[in-house]
Amino acid sequence: MTLSTLQKIHEALERRPEQIDEEKRNGKIVVGWVGYFIPEEIIYALGMIPIRLGKGGNEHLVELGARYISSQNCAFIRSCMGMFVENTDPYLQRTDLLAFDNACMQVFRLGEVSEYISKKKVMFLGIPRKLFSQSSRTYFLEEMNHFTRKLEEVQGHTLDSDKLTKSIELFQEIRRLTLDLYNSLITRDVPISWNEVNAVVHSGYYLDKKTYAILLHELIEEINSFSSLPSNCKKNVRIIISGSPIAPGDTKLNDIITQIHGTIVGDNLWSGRNMSFNMQMKSPSIAGIADAYLNRIIHHSLPCFDNELDNRVDNLIQTVRETQAQGVIYHTIRYCDSATLKTTGLKECLKNEGIPLLEIHTEYSNSDLEAIRTRVEAFFEMIMATEEMGVLA
Amino acid sequence: MSATYQPFRYPDEIKPLVLEKDDLVFSDGTTVTSEDIWEFMTVTGPKRFPFSFSTNPAFGHQLSGDVTFISSIRRTYFGMTGIDRIRNFVQKSTPIVIVQGGISNDLYLASGCIPVGPMFIRGWLMNLQEGRGYRKANFDGAALLEEARQNLSFECCNLIANIGLLKNRDLPIAAIAPCLCSRCSDMGYAVEAYKSQSGEIPALLMDYPVNHDGGEWRTTYLAEELHLMAERLGKISGKEVTDKDLMAEIKLENRARALSRECEKIWWSGEVPPTNSIDRGFHHLALMGGFDFPVANKILEETRDELKVRVRDGVKGFGLTDDPARLFICGSCVTPNQNFVDKKGGVLVGSDDIWSSINMDVKETGDPFKNLAMAYASLPYERSTEERAQWTIEQMKASRADGVIFMYNWGCNYQSAIATMITDIIKNETGLPAIIIEVGELTRMESLEQSQNRIESFIEMLQ
Repeated sequence: MTLSTLQKIHEALERRPEQIDEEKRNGKIVVGWVGYFIPEEIIYALGMIPIRLGKGGNEHLVELGARYISSQNCAFIRSCMGMFVENTDPYLQRTDLLAFDNACMQVFRLGEVSEYISKKKVMFLGIPRKLFSQSSRTYFLEEMNHFTRKLEEVQGHTLDSDKLTKSIELFQEIRRLTLDLYNSLITRDVPISWNEVNAVVHSGYYLDKKTYAILLHELIEEINSFSSLPSNCKKNVRIIISGSPIAPGDTKLNDIITQIHGTIVGDNLWSGRNMSFNMQMKSPSIAGIADAYLNRIIHHSLPCFDNELDNRVDNLIQTVRETQAQGVIYHTIRYCDSATLKTTGLKECLKNEGIPLLEIHTEYSNSDLEAIRTRVEAFFEMIMATEEMGVLA
Repeated sequence: MSATYQPFRYPDEIKPLVLEKDDLVFSDGTTVTSEDIWEFMTVTGPKRFPFSFSTNPAFGHQLSGDVTFISSIRRTYFGMTGIDRIRNFVQKSTPIVIVQGGISNDLYLASGCIPVGPMFIRGWLMNLQEGRGYRKANFDGAALLEEARQNLSFECCNLIANIGLLKNRDLPIAAIAPCLCSRCSDMGYAVEAYKSQSGEIPALLMDYPVNHDGGEWRTTYLAEELHLMAERLGKISGKEVTDKDLMAEIKLENRARALSRECEKIWWSGEVPPTNSIDRGFHHLALMGGFDFPVANKILEETRDELKVRVRDGVKGFGLTDDPARLFICGSCVTPNQNFVDKKGGVLVGSDDIWSSINMDVKETGDPFKNLAMAYASLPYERSTEERAQWTIEQMKASRADGVIFMYNWGCNYQSAIATMITDIIKNETGLPAIIIEVGELTRMESLEQSQNRIESFIEMLQ
């Protein structure tokens, strides 16, 4: 069953490149960005069009990208590099300038090499590795101010505070609706799957923000209007996905989970829910934006040496509890060191909480499809067997 | 059937040349006479560290055969006995601190700590048992790396992977205090993984703002980070770190850096290379100081003086072919097997990694923390890739390089990412050939043919 709003979103996406062309003819500048801290609110308030770039799931792009960046870079970075080199992505083609942050240092390098290859104007935003000290906050605010000044130079006018306030309100509304959408997955027999939610969130990378907010409203209303449906979902294993980003175009793992009767009930991915989670804007200003971005859950690419301050594992455990998930599938992309090196520690922490974790270490090729299927099946069987034994006991 | 290689021996004929040199006076007041040095290099050393005297061609750290280059013999002595000085520090409860990031030692030493790189971890464990031969050292080193990777990830770079050994091994490490994120992305994740697995050694993070787009706030932030690190290290060492302490250390290390730069300029000015590739290790000495900078500076002075004479007299480094292909090395923390390069008709004339840090000259007046921050922020290796490439081109011209090799360790995401870009820029602007080599040896001391074949082919092409 397909929700009619999903169809509307699909149609809006199809029209979007032409719409952008029209806006560009009217003088709009398109800012393509890769990363996790680029302040879309500021770009939008300046009258520019922010587009989050990035592609996964395409082996050809990975191979192409590796010729320009390195085979030691993660599959997502190689794929993005391939996308920049091939330059057939309709959104990339329409970008006037590119922005990268360095939360993930591989993304930073992607920015450097992209600038060299594409010859497009590129901007960088520095991210502190310490999130909780006053000096790092001052540093980040200065970076944000600098980033804004450079955008203003490109745009030809300064940032208007009223427009910034409105922009922040709009993006906060989108975040609130996005979280509502994820929350709807917690209910059993919901008429939308995580794969569909993920696709909706990805469509938000490209759609006009006001249109996107309206469509999200409609979608949530439509979901809420459905009464509980009879289905066999109740027997499915409930799973949270965590780890490396799952970029647009990458459906390998999600498809396998769904095919073998798993239900993904949430994620804490930086390509998904995390971008909207815990974003508290205390003031409608650049300083407010800078603080809000730093106060989110710590990004997985930012090393945290202090277990007391590290809120990521607690957040994952909380997500598992809230969604009544039975296990975590920890998705790590080849050479995504920030996710991969966390696996052992994370597994130990979750084990102490009675939460099973399966790491799936993969790339965008299909060569490991059946191996992953077997591992996920075994993981599900183990969860089911453990629960049955618990019931019998 | 396996070949046997006789261990390297210094000939008795050079003994008078070694003995005529000054004693080495260490910071703790101990004196090592030139007689002691000769005894160590000919008797004690070969017994304690037999693998270091191996002449197996695959061995990447062979001793130089240039037995008349006496400062190099003294430097080798200083290097081999570094482990003894560390043991002394441990005995006296001087904190040993794991660092990383290509930045200098000034701050750590001024804070009363002894900075060591991640390789120290394996080095310490290997040195628990002396008398290992070449093959045994190879096997034991590989086993340690495997253990480390099991605790972290097989995708971690083989240098940083050593952090994984901290999980189950007892080492005299007081703190892990790396600088993130200059040059390396794996260090942060490795330390984080260690801490998340109940690691008890304190981990102190010093943030390095990577963005290269100017901005005084970046050096202000870095200076504050240096202050904070000094304060935290001071708590570990029990020493209050004053501006005066830091300035004194900066002056000492500035001297080492200046001497090293002087050595390099003299070396480059030679019509023929005045030493072989192995004997060019003076930059490493100037950066790390061999755990005793005054002695390091003394040896650097001797190196400079010997180089001057050799260049004046047109002496060619031992073991080099006539008109060898001059190779400049770029990339991550790895260099080719120097002995192999020399034998195949090449010679190493520079590398961007340590040379970048050696080029740092910290201002000796004003706020030392700010001065150090400004110096770190200006390190060419840490600048934008475009700027780094331009700087590398300048160094290649100054060293009269015939070609460039961009090398990186397997698992090094951050440096490998820009290999193609840098080599492209160099090729386009200089017309000189360049090659990218991924080193997959992972500390192995055998079966190195793959990367050696590539180096050999490149040298052949340059000839």
